[in-house]
Amino acid sequence: MIQHHSLATRNLNVWYGRTQALREITVDLPANQITAIIGPSGCGKSTFLKSLNRLLELNAGVRVDGEVLLDGRNIYAPGVDVTTVRGRVGMLAQKPFPLPLSIYENVAYGMKIHGVRHSQIDGHVERALNAVGLWGEVATRLKAPATSLSGGQQQRLCLARAIAVEPEILLCDESTASLDPISAQGIESLLLALRGRYTLVIVTHNIAQARRLADYVMFMWLGELVEHGPAAEFFDNPRESLTQEYLARRIG
Amino acid sequence: MTHRQRRNLIDFVMRWVLRLAIGSAAATLLLIVGVITWRGLPGLSWEMISQPPAGSFYLGGGGGVLNAILGSLALATGATLLAALIAVPVVLYLHGYAGRSRLANGLRLALDVMWGIPSIVYGAFGFSLMLLVGLRASLLAGIVTVAFVALPILARTFDEVLMLAPKELREATLALGTTRLEMLGILLRQTLPGLLTAVLLAFGRAIGDGAAPMFTAGYTDRLPQGLTEPVATLPLSIFFQLSAPYQSVQTRAYASAVILTAIILVISVMAQFTSRKLGRHIIR
Repeated sequence: MIQHHSLATRNLNVWYGRTQALREITVDLPANQITAIIGPSGCGKSTFLKSLNRLLELNAGVRVDGEVLLDGRNIYAPGVDVTTVRGRVGMLAQKPFPLPLSIYENVAYGMKIHGVRHSQIDGHVERALNAVGLWGEVATRLKAPATSLSGGQQQRLCLARAIAVEPEILLCDESTASLDPISAQGIESLLLALRGRYTLVIVTHNIAQARRLADYVMFMWLGELVEHGPAAEFFDNPRESLTQEYLARRIG
Repeated sequence: MTHRQRRNLIDFVMRWVLRLAIGSAAATLLLIVGVITWRGLPGLSWEMISQPPAGSFYLGGGGGVLNAILGSLALATGATLLAALIAVPVVLYLHGYAGRSRLANGLRLALDVMWGIPSIVYGAFGFSLMLLVGLRASLLAGIVTVAFVALPILARTFDEVLMLAPKELREATLALGTTRLEMLGILLRQTLPGLLTAVLLAFGRAIGDGAAPMFTAGYTDRLPQGLTEPVATLPLSIFFQLSAPYQSVQTRAYASAVILTAIILVISVMAQFTSRKLGRHIIR
């Protein structure tokens, strides 16, 4: 199978000051599928996710060693343009966080900075809002502040904002954790709908959610990748005893 | 007394202690405004705000303080703009590129020290600077000197406002693939009302400062003539009138104080109003 784009890590190590947060992570993330990263709090899930779009660099005292390969090219190599990387690897955060702009501008902003032609932006905004099922709700008040939307709507707006830039990969950091069950379900079905067109990497505390969404699963423990594999295999026949115990909720 | 009763009693007492503090703060403001209004009201007239002083003004003759009103407005506006021109890029650099580096912390310390320096020192500094470049007492020299007074206030207030901006906003913006500068643009949108407050605080300090312009802007009974001519300022005008041995002139000093207070009040109210408009899109 020809993959349009690929994402992998090789011996990825991350330190916060002297504390090592990730140890020798080597994994190939399957293209156009949903990879779920599970594991207890503080195991390095979010750190791993943020290493994939170099958002990690915002923290003071972070050191990254090893490689994150986007189409075979290390995104940490000197000379790599970080804005291009982040344009290709989009992100949906834990809490909905719209930009301090109108609903329309929230979606249009990313396209503007990435040089999409002005004449095309209106159409793209509508398409992106449609893709997240928000167009019908906001079409008449595009100029209203994004903060006038409900939490679930805001998270869908953030998703529209992310996909409007047309990334190849979308990272989701516990993106349903702060939402009510109905809104969370809405986001989940959107993620399932995006599968096939985007490579999705989601961090979740919720094993049931991982079962519902994931094609591929990574289980992390204290900064190490304990086990990873296709979801069916992973959940039905976990190889490591640590994984078995975690899935049985005996630990973590 | 049970444990619960004791906690409720403490709560009750403390509530009144806090209210007392609020009362004293409000009373102080009311008292200041009340006293200057009471003493200045008889001296307030259309002539006061529409005319420069006549020759015998400080001896009880006619005229007003239009020279000082216009001079103060020009001086404070110029100084605040100049301070903003330097402070805003400095602070944006700190937040976009310098983070919590040594440079950033050193700069913050320097600004805090600058904030604490009395304005008479800035006046003396501005005066020697003037001599150095061969400038005489003028609106320009006053603007430059008072800008030094306003700079730390504007910079540190804006700095604190930006520190309060949610960390997630930076992440959300940068995650879209923005450059640092574009991220700062978004951060600026979020903090515009705070920036306005910072500018207002700086303006208030600039227009109320007497010592720095005394050496550098000079004083004149004429209306402001240009950047290279001396200008009058309200605090100095108040000082000269209060020093006069005539009751009627001293009353006009209080009237001038009322005018100065009114200017600050009007600007504060306008800022409140604009702030609400600017804050329409803010993420809370």
